[in-house]
Amino acid sequence: MDARHTFDFLTNPERFMAFSRWAAPLLGGLSAVAGIAGLVMTFLVPEDYQQGDTVRMMFIHIPAASIAIFIYVCLGVASFLGLVFRQALADLAAQACAPIGAVYTALALVTGSLWGKPMWGTWWVWDARLTSVLVLLLFYLGYMALRGALDDEQKAARAAAILALVGLINLPIVKFSVEWWNTLHQGSSTFFAKRGDGLPAIYAWPAALMGLAYLGAFGALWLVRIRGLVWRRKARGLALKLAETAR
Amino acid sequence: MSFDFDAGKYAAYLWPAFAISAVAFAWMIADSVLTARRWKREAERLQAELDEARP
Repeated sequence: MDARHTFDFLTNPERFMAFSRWAAPLLGGLSAVAGIAGLVMTFLVPEDYQQGDTVRMMFIHIPAASIAIFIYVCLGVASFLGLVFRQALADLAAQACAPIGAVYTALALVTGSLWGKPMWGTWWVWDARLTSVLVLLLFYLGYMALRGALDDEQKAARAAAILALVGLINLPIVKFSVEWWNTLHQGSSTFFAKRGDGLPAIYAWPAALMGLAYLGAFGALWLVRIRGLVWRRKARGLALKLAETAR
Repeated sequence: MSFDFDAGKYAAYLWPAFAISAVAFAWMIADSVLTARRWKREAERLQAELDEARP
């Protein structure tokens, strides 16, 4: 299957419904298995010599923050496809991932705050990383508010897609804020860690498992929410047909 | 290696973080599944009504 056919396959609502019917529970199941294994390892690994037991916060904070950024990339790509190619399913995909992204971002902020208080001595500081993640949350909320504010669904989708594309500018700021500015938040300790800043091997497994669990959960929830929106669109179309028949 | 659930002086920060995350996931799963089911049932009900209304 070449790239064009993959694209066609995912933009055909009927094929998408057939695919997501088994893919959503499969992803959900894999996420649950990874999550249980990750949680077991979270409480098996020894506490950190500097951070003590708060190091366990890392296994829920980093996945929430990383996947929140990834979800925004999905929102941006789906918005682009919906806006430029008028793909109805892509528009539904964008609409479906915004609330999940908002919850993941809120979780990153809340768990980060609960980690920051004992380690930094403050719940919040207006440094570049924390502020740019707060801006990310505002983009998610703005997208959802804009979609809900306009009665004309096509206009709402177009306006929200433009907002989502503008918000993509914030992603490199979130990612590189700890390098571009002097921040209280530490630099990357996972994929892009500088030499010596990476996770100790013993913490890598629970971090990887929880990362997979959060990613799988997003995949499953995204598919389920798109399915819901496809059903909703179908129900609205049927309601219109029914009203015409009754005339 | 044994489980370490004693977070000591950090318990007041650690457990709320895990509890809030668990509640958020429970809410997202319930909301996503229930909303999808509701619209599926609505579409099926309307389709049945339309099939009846058509001669």
